[in-house]
Amino acid sequence: MIEIKNLSVLYAGNTEESLSDVNLSLQKGDFICVLGKSGAGKSTFIRCINGLQKPTGGEILLDGKTITYAKEEDLRKIRREMGMIFQHFNLIPRLSVLQNVMTGTFGYRNSFKNLFGMFTAEELKRARSVIAEVGLAEMATRRIENLSGGQKQRVGIARALVQQPRVLLGDEPVASLDPGTSDRIFTLLKEMHERLGLLTIINVHDIELAKRYATRIVALKDGKVIFDGLPKDFKEAEYQETYESQSADAYFGAEI
Amino acid sequence: MWFKKSNFLTLAILILLVFFSMRLTEFDLSKFKDFRNMIDFLSQWFPMDFSLLPNMVQDTLETLAMAFLGSVFGLIIALPISFLAARNTSPSPILFQFSRIALSFVRSIPEIVFGLILLTTLGLGPFPAVIAIMFHNIGVFGKLISELIEAADPGPQEAMKAVGSKTWVANLFSILPQIWPNVLSQFFYRFEVAIRTSLILGFIGGGGIGQRLFNDFKTFQYSSVSLDVLIIMIMVIIIDFLASSIRKRII
Repeated sequence: MIEIKNLSVLYAGNTEESLSDVNLSLQKGDFICVLGKSGAGKSTFIRCINGLQKPTGGEILLDGKTITYAKEEDLRKIRREMGMIFQHFNLIPRLSVLQNVMTGTFGYRNSFKNLFGMFTAEELKRARSVIAEVGLAEMATRRIENLSGGQKQRVGIARALVQQPRVLLGDEPVASLDPGTSDRIFTLLKEMHERLGLLTIINVHDIELAKRYATRIVALKDGKVIFDGLPKDFKEAEYQETYESQSADAYFGAEI
Repeated sequence: MWFKKSNFLTLAILILLVFFSMRLTEFDLSKFKDFRNMIDFLSQWFPMDFSLLPNMVQDTLETLAMAFLGSVFGLIIALPISFLAARNTSPSPILFQFSRIALSFVRSIPEIVFGLILLTTLGLGPFPAVIAIMFHNIGVFGKLISELIEAADPGPQEAMKAVGSKTWVANLFSILPQIWPNVLSQFFYRFEVAIRTSLILGFIGGGGIGQRLFNDFKTFQYSSVSLDVLIIMIMVIIIDFLASSIRKRII
């Protein structure tokens, strides 16, 4: 479904690439957890997939067509098929749950209709049913500020699902949540993933969550893929390689 | 223990500045020895003459209307310009620079200069005053709001882009709710300022209670002047109170 070919990203002013020569083939039904230390390139990788980040090399193909060099108008059509959830939820403050979820449908309507809230009854019904699915049916009219972190992320998920996406992206969606809430969010994500037959790609810090929920794990280190396989094959050695800092070894080695 | 050497230098500079400023402004407290003149003058203000009260109230409403229109129109016009003049939402660097320069240009011209220029085409009356206040407020609101836009949380903007929304819709929806309370707060503050400005503009023929005060003063109608001043004071106090209570409720 998504082919990633020689993907590289070099941020202006940096000498080292944040992503370097990444090659992956992602299939519908994959529930992929991307592991790696802070700064390993996880976030950059996720953001490349829906074009929030422009690569400096290589390209990404969706169903055989490039999205890397897509025009603004085509990029919007690609993005509306990809839901995205964020670490800090990125909801619009002062708006209600329902209003926030409705913004998920903005890619399917012209600006005039969006501006004046000209939604069809079918779209509103869909939004309400998605809100019910994430367990916030009674809170649809509540303002975002009055929700807990876990509830805010549920709104984020509802906003992504109302897009009727084929791909679900998560940039550290549970990094600001407590372990119990994180687990429940992952349960919800997995449930939606299976029911809607999505391709799900999520960055996580918590390796236990990744092993429990992922069908495939990709580990990044210094912008390079160092592991791509089944969760059961991600063992102590792989963990060490992903999280142990080589530069730290070198540093301590030099000291001793 | 509390003071550094540089503090004394600062103090010396401050004293020097105060001294030169006093020279330039002919600041001399001994001049107050003639303050009996002021008492004599102020005694002519009383008793107040209430015969023209209805006209004065009408002029006061005119002043309020001038200030209100000037700041509302200023805000409405400044809002879209602010998005062009904010680094994170401007569609192009050229438009960004151009709108920045245009805003600081209109901001640098005082209302009274706008008023004097507009008098030549629009004649005397409140209309040129409204336009003068509006122009200045475009500059002020444009700067304030574009700074609020630049300080807004970029997260919601990114999320709106990610759902496939057009960039300008994404900017509008993600930023306006964030900055709205601050924008309204600034609006009420600028409205208060516009009231004071429209009083001054009355002196150059801009109408309202300011012009009445000026005319009464120039024609030695001191028993009317006192009532004008009283009405202005009451109006300013009421508006201050209303504006601050509304601002409190929004934030």
